[in-house]
Amino acid sequence: MTSSADSQKTTDAYLAALRRQLRELTDEDANDIVEEIRAHILDKTSGDTPSETVKATLAALGSPEELASRYRTEELLKRAQIARSPAFILRSLFRWATLSVLGLIVFLVSVVGYCLGAGLFILGALKLISPNRTGVYGVFSTHTWALNFQSGGQNSGHDLLGWWLVPIGLLLGAVLLVLTFRFGLWSIRKFWRPRAWQEA
Amino acid sequence: MKDPAPPAPDAAEKWEVQLRRGSLELAILAALWDGRLYGLEILRHLESNSDLIVVEGTAYPLLTRLRSLGLVESEWVESESGHPRKYYRLTPAGRQRALEMARIWARFSGSMTQLLTPLSKEVNNKNEAGRRIGTP
Repeated sequence: MTSSADSQKTTDAYLAALRRQLRELTDEDANDIVEEIRAHILDKTSGDTPSETVKATLAALGSPEELASRYRTEELLKRAQIARSPAFILRSLFRWATLSVLGLIVFLVSVVGYCLGAGLFILGALKLISPNRTGVYGVFSTHTWALNFQSGGQNSGHDLLGWWLVPIGLLLGAVLLVLTFRFGLWSIRKFWRPRAWQEA
Repeated sequence: MKDPAPPAPDAAEKWEVQLRRGSLELAILAALWDGRLYGLEILRHLESNSDLIVVEGTAYPLLTRLRSLGLVESEWVESESGHPRKYYRLTPAGRQRALEMARIWARFSGSMTQLLTPLSKEVNNKNEAGRRIGTP
């Protein structure tokens, strides 16, 4: 076997082992990592390099297990950073709120956004269940101007939306919930710097 | 009788490793300040422009982390060498982070230099030790 073929075999075996070790990641992420490491090895060993050079390059990267372990650690940290769970986001925002004014503002805006969104969504749904007792009632007089979002109880004033409350409430509520979630996620990504990952 | 265990790495060397590791993120962001580079270019840039000895197996996962955090973005680009390379560039958030970190670094190293003044004469007499202290 030629030196070049031998090097190729060593490299392929290394990358295959690395790919196996990265099976916990998504295929896209794992393949991206393997291709980047392949490019690195090719760049360092361009041409007909002796197999010792290839071995030294692989040694500098660490064993496939060590290298994969470092990537897996980063992946865990990444998941913690961008977990797609509103509960996680809200918990993170709460922790952030206890640490800085900016965190407190983002947390309060998020709470208001979630409450408004959920309220509108529930109101839209309740209109379907109890149409006569649910609505947005406008109370207008010389001294008073009020909008009552209510379901049940004694309604007063003029029902402004009627059946339109169903699509508007559901749609606006859902959009507000999604926007609030994305706002929280964006704020955490952009402004919050937890120390945990920096020290890992 | 068994041979005595090899001596543990010097505490100062351990500290140096921690110091280098802690500086690596800023060093990578700084390396990308002037434009996009691929992984090996970043490593070579760090080696030729600094005293940092970067372990390759550490740098690539760190680049992945920086990308996840939105501080750098990456793209695959076909190269003349026959294989594609993954290039990294700073995002606006990455530029902002680099500036903030550089400011903190300047302030910190300035105060440390001042604090180390009494030691400087002795340190300068020992070049090797002088590199370890890392006066800027």
